[in-house]
Amino acid sequence: MRVVWLVIGGIILFIASLWVAGANPLTAVTQLVTGSVGSASAISGTIRELTPLLILGVSVFLALKAGLFNIGAEGQFVIGSCFGAATMLALGGPIGVVAGVLVGAIAGGLWALPAGYIKAFRNGHEVITTIMLNNIAVNLTKWLVSGPFKGEKAVSATTATLPVNTQLTPLIKIGQFELPQAVIVGVLLTIGVGYWLSKTTSGYELRAAGANPTAAEFAGVKTKQVTVKAMFFSGAIAGIAGALQVAQFEHRFYDGSSVGYGFDALGVALLAGGNAYGLFASSFLFGALNKGGTSLMGLGIDKGITTMVLAIVIIIFAAVKYRQRGGQND
Amino acid sequence: MIDLLKQCITMSIPLVLIALAGFFSERGGVINIGLEGKTLLACFFSVAFTSRFGPVPGLLLTIVATSIVSLLHWLLTQVYRMDHIISGMAINLLAAGATSFFKFKFAPDGLDDAHVPPKMLLYALGITAPAVLWWLSHKTRFGLQHRSAGSDPDKARLLGINPQGIRFAALIGTGVLCALAGSLLIAETPQFTDGMTSGRGYIALAALILGGWRPINAALACLLFGAASALQIQYNGQYIPSEAWKSLPYLVTLFAIAGFLGRNRTPAGLGKP
Repeated sequence: MRVVWLVIGGIILFIASLWVAGANPLTAVTQLVTGSVGSASAISGTIRELTPLLILGVSVFLALKAGLFNIGAEGQFVIGSCFGAATMLALGGPIGVVAGVLVGAIAGGLWALPAGYIKAFRNGHEVITTIMLNNIAVNLTKWLVSGPFKGEKAVSATTATLPVNTQLTPLIKIGQFELPQAVIVGVLLTIGVGYWLSKTTSGYELRAAGANPTAAEFAGVKTKQVTVKAMFFSGAIAGIAGALQVAQFEHRFYDGSSVGYGFDALGVALLAGGNAYGLFASSFLFGALNKGGTSLMGLGIDKGITTMVLAIVIIIFAAVKYRQRGGQND
Repeated sequence: MIDLLKQCITMSIPLVLIALAGFFSERGGVINIGLEGKTLLACFFSVAFTSRFGPVPGLLLTIVATSIVSLLHWLLTQVYRMDHIISGMAINLLAAGATSFFKFKFAPDGLDDAHVPPKMLLYALGITAPAVLWWLSHKTRFGLQHRSAGSDPDKARLLGINPQGIRFAALIGTGVLCALAGSLLIAETPQFTDGMTSGRGYIALAALILGGWRPINAALACLLFGAASALQIQYNGQYIPSEAWKSLPYLVTLFAIAGFLGRNRTPAGLGKP
């Protein structure tokens, strides 16, 4: 019943916000839908938006299953992007892309490692450590692209642009509709991680360590090692997302190239609700809202409204799904 | 030298206020990742209210509005029993979206000189706040109950304390201090811009952790971070890259959390219902 009030409150907040800002809620919602799925180019835009969110969602989801909040996906994404871009530029060609993605994965994984280690062996909360690592990552990459990795002719803090043979082309291109290769990687990663978690021993151990570490420890699971491993893989997947973002869409790495994908990914993973295949739906929702939000700008409505909608959706969902037990009422 | 000192105070006092806002909620047992969002909203409220109602009424209204937002955090974590980290992130997201969405309507312009939050008063409050909070926390009945709610809510309950009620008061305290911090930021740069808190909520959280969740130590940590950024502004990357300076607070905190700088002082009941 309380949750019903929360839903009603959320809807009222949404409509009231639009109304106060002087926009017609109905027009806004219509524009949101047509701007995200109304045409071939809109759908392509939505897919572009959801690609990094899907892969990062897998990353956060994996950590979540091990009982870890990887708020650090943002930093791991940036690190993966930066080192991935540098590798692709250095090697060039299709081999450069593959090597860049691998380097991005390793860099992202290593960036997440301190958080896993501190969580497992020094009892420090991973949320705080990953927030710190995010900020260090942003500063480090900013320094790298304004110094060692800076493109020769670049004026601002950016790497050079990838040569055409080092860019990933769309897999399918029909008129204005484009299906990027990176989204296929995302789908495969989702299925792979879903399979790993539900059908293999090490995946089971990871879930056990996340659900009840004490019980898992007694059952012979080395929970500390599992924590470190989960954090590394989560970081590696976030790094892959970063490197693919460069290869497929951005074609260079520059300071400020991530617009908070890592934080959105936390929402994506939460809304998936414990099921890896739920990531498809939740990343689509986030992607569509991001794309639709941009098209709202045409109506003079600020994109902030979609961020508010996402926050409300997360709150309502978390009130149902991620509740604490114990204390006064139990 | 005087410039450096001035810069140091300008940089650290807002951090002190935010860190103490975090002290109120975390020592009472509510994990507060949402400091960034609350301070951002406070900046927005400050511009919106001060431009219409003048400095003092504007400040008071900012305090009320920010406290209400902070109580939303209480509602989510204590009544709906939502995970503290998720609710904190959601509040940050809501704050970023709402301020960006409403700024053209309510806070489009900069403030003129007659409509600026009372800067000197806010600095004075920021400087005295650590001592006041230390007194409140260690010398009063409320302080003891507050710490017990954050250290072991179950035992506190057995002693007849209602942790949920204590946290209600604590989160109002968080709201008030975030409001002061936001107003101070607006007093320094009298215009609202998207994301103008630029990570101060997280740095303050880091300072709180570095200070072992104690008000005076947390304030000293803020001073340290403030001095680091003042030096960075003063020398602007002459000797050491400015990015390295900016990373320093985060690196120090990372070591502190890892327990390389003394024992871990996390309140035992942090995040417990």
